[in-house]
Amino acid sequence: MVENNELELSEAEAEQYDRQIRLWGLESQKRLRASKVLIIGLSGLGAEIAKNIILSGVKSVCLLDDEKLKETDLYSQFLAPPDKIGENRAESSIQRARALNPMVDITSETKAVDELPDAFFTTFDIVCATGLKQEQLERINNICRDSNKKFLCGDVWGMFGYMFADLIDHEYSEEIVQHKAVKRGPDETEKNARETVSITVKRRAIYVPLQNALSADWTKPELRSRLRRGDPSYFAMKILLRFRDEFNRNPDPAKRKADTEILLRMRDELVKELNIPVGFISDALLTDVFGIVSGAAAVVGGVIGQEVVKAVSQREPPHNNMFFFNPVKCVGFVELYGQ
Amino acid sequence: MVARVAGVFDEKLTEAIANSKILVVGAGGIGCEILKNLVLTGFPQIEIIDLDTIDVSNLNRQFLFHKEHVGKSKAQVAKDSALSFNPTVNIIAHHDSVISNDYGVSYFKQFNIVMNALDNRVARNHVNRMCLAANVPLIETGTAGYAGQVELIKKGLTQCYECQPKAPQKSFPGCTIRNTPSEPIHCIVWAKHLFNQLFGEEDPDQDVSPDTADPEAAGDAGASALSSEGTAAGNIERKSTRAWASDTNYDPEKLFSKLFGDDIRYLLSMENLWKKRRPPTPLTWDNLPGKDNAPTQHSGLPDQRVWTVHECAQVFAASCKALQTDLKSRPDGDHLVWDKDEKSAMDFVTACANIRAHIFNIQLKSRFEIKSMAGNIIPAIATANAIVAGLAVIRAQALLKGEIETCTSVYLRPKVNHRGQLFVPEKTLTAPNPKCYVCAPKPEVGLACNIKQLTLKDLNTAFKEGLNMQAPDATVEGKGLVVLSSEPGETDHNNEKTLEEIGLNDGCALLVDDFLQNYEVRVRLQQEDDEKSWRLVTDTDTPMPAPKEDKTANGSNGAKEPKPGPSRSKEDSDSDMEIIDEDDDGEPAPKPPKRRRTEISDEVVELC
Ligand SMILES: [Zn+2]
Repeated sequence: MVENNELELSEAEAEQYDRQIRLWGLESQKRLRASKVLIIGLSGLGAEIAKNIILSGVKSVCLLDDEKLKETDLYSQFLAPPDKIGENRAESSIQRARALNPMVDITSETKAVDELPDAFFTTFDIVCATGLKQEQLERINNICRDSNKKFLCGDVWGMFGYMFADLIDHEYSEEIVQHKAVKRGPDETEKNARETVSITVKRRAIYVPLQNALSADWTKPELRSRLRRGDPSYFAMKILLRFRDEFNRNPDPAKRKADTEILLRMRDELVKELNIPVGFISDALLTDVFGIVSGAAAVVGGVIGQEVVKAVSQREPPHNNMFFFNPVKCVGFVELYGQ
Repeated sequence: MVARVAGVFDEKLTEAIANSKILVVGAGGIGCEILKNLVLTGFPQIEIIDLDTIDVSNLNRQFLFHKEHVGKSKAQVAKDSALSFNPTVNIIAHHDSVISNDYGVSYFKQFNIVMNALDNRVARNHVNRMCLAANVPLIETGTAGYAGQVELIKKGLTQCYECQPKAPQKSFPGCTIRNTPSEPIHCIVWAKHLFNQLFGEEDPDQDVSPDTADPEAAGDAGASALSSEGTAAGNIERKSTRAWASDTNYDPEKLFSKLFGDDIRYLLSMENLWKKRRPPTPLTWDNLPGKDNAPTQHSGLPDQRVWTVHECAQVFAASCKALQTDLKSRPDGDHLVWDKDEKSAMDFVTACANIRAHIFNIQLKSRFEIKSMAGNIIPAIATANAIVAGLAVIRAQALLKGEIETCTSVYLRPKVNHRGQLFVPEKTLTAPNPKCYVCAPKPEVGLACNIKQLTLKDLNTAFKEGLNMQAPDATVEGKGLVVLSSEPGETDHNNEKTLEEIGLNDGCALLVDDFLQNYEVRVRLQQEDDEKSWRLVTDTDTPMPAPKEDKTANGSNGAKEPKPGPSRSKEDSDSDMEIIDEDDDGEPAPKPPKRRRTEISDEVVELC
């Protein structure tokens, strides 16, 4: 839980954050300013998430990545300059990350997540992981859970993307605007001005860990009914996570044809395994899943950034635990899995 | 050069991107994000236009700009920052208004796609027409707070930006502002009018003194009150407020006594007004509430503390003096322009609005809140801009692939809909409105006015403000008689003549043309004896919004840049929102969807 920092905002902060304070209020801004964020994976998606969170005015952001900057990263990764190819992605992103907002403390960590002790992850208020294997995601999620730290993860493959959130037991406040008629004159019959009053209500949302969401039981009637009018994005995500686990890499733009064949084969296996109607997961959804397309990274990074802001400021209802961007229909939607 | 890495896109799209040329209009919150996405994706030829300079309040979302760039050209800095992401692309930056003869139809024709990232309706209307004239697809974007939208506009295929009449602008009757305010906004509008009366451009429609023509006060007229100041007709002597203030050397105490004492007593004398309302309480300078209050504990931003009436009076006095000094330092005849970001101007409006609110028993507001209302500030955040810009570039990619029919409008919702959707695409493209007075094959519109009273000068204003033309030319249909010419001097001598005097009558049709927009519309005159000004009448719908726009109500930085154009900071956001009410059942929607515009409104004062 992020403690509310009682220290007042400086004049410089008030000026720079004016347009967002007018949206989410001063209390949220103070909570943001007290929160420490870890971003794992400085791909194009990681860069988008980092940009949004740094601009919002958190206390600190740690960029964690052990990978080297590749040419394909430059398609969507705008924090690392093109002349840093071959250098560590987190380190080469630091300078531009700092320039986005000098009031935020930016650090980097170049060890692989598997080399880092559990205690490392719990020094942050919230962790956002991208580009990891399912096993790694589940480990970090569980570490965060045990220390009551919030966890989000997500990926973009080509044009397609998803987000998962485990906010554990999340308390938040929501402002509800009500209209009430006010009498202004001595004559009670006078029709008069309506005043808007906003009241703040406290609410709670309970989340499940990632393994529950990824092992959703599709034999259950409530999930089967989703197949009728639903969207196949959940399965596309499963296939792409499996691809990464199996081949230790993402689908490669240079092997577009061969990898597409692998993906379609994996799709057919999943269809059998979960007894999904044939044709439900269209080829089109698995066609544009190569590299990271900048527009899609912006879209998914925007959603993840906004969920991080909501989570640490404890204001406004967070989404249910999974978000998907389906580029075929250009639809972005939220679903609940694992409960 | 080709899109940067082969294999990310299929060959067709890679090729199409490599041969594309894109125009981005506006380098604000959405413009910065669009430019980043285009450059990273490898769009090789990009031009970007914005006439604005960078302000510190942009930095929370316009991420191509940093503190050291404050005051510099948005277009230029955006270009420089974006080039550092991908130095191989070619970007041309224009620090300029898009509404200019330099950007005519042939300029627009060189682009495959135009992407709008604007913050005001005037420029959006203009680019809409330029893209229709050049037959170039336009991707129109906007955000307000958490919400946003992306919409494709293509001549003959989709609605244009002006196909649906815009929501009428919120307006307050003049008598509510001058006589019977009941909400904080009424006092704020009054205070902005007072600013203009004292220091700004004097506008007779922005009178701040009691309005004796108030129909509610009929038969009452307040003739008994303050007869020493009254004329035989019971009206206060119409000496200009400015002249009077100047005579007193802007003495704050005297100004205060007139505005918040005498004028209020005069209003009280109009007894009919107060039969069903709580009457106002006049104030005296020496005895103001809050004078002896001990300083209270306040948490929050200093601007969020609500001042006492006594403090308001102190601020009123100080800001009056500061504004007077500013006015005096300018050449004769010059005036100030209200700007929410000018300290004294904002202090003055806060103080006056609150003093008046206290008099009328209306809740006082903080300077922070009054700034939002007086400056029409729309909150803006990085994430919504990023999402909308991402969707816009994804739509641009589909257009280049030749999949225009898939490019339906997409709405970013502040909260998911009942189907769990956060980004909601429409099912089909929305067909153009055949009666649209902009994109119909033969555009036509009615102009209701009193032909006996409307002057040619007013007619010119109607074409500029109502039809959003930049330089209208008008001839009488069938006769070729030139009524208005955009050439300076050609028809100016007729400016003060009425339409009747130059031989126009009811039912007569004018062909009105804007050369730059390559836009011609047939305007039918409709005689209406009661119409005090003019209004547009379209075939299909209710009358268009009244034209009497409050020029100061938009909080624009008009002083710096009178030309309309991208990022005029009219609202300082990328707003002009249109949120669709999605259909509930997933059935195909054959009829055009209902739209609800959630645009911020400039308040308008109607004459009673
Ligand atoms: Zn139209």
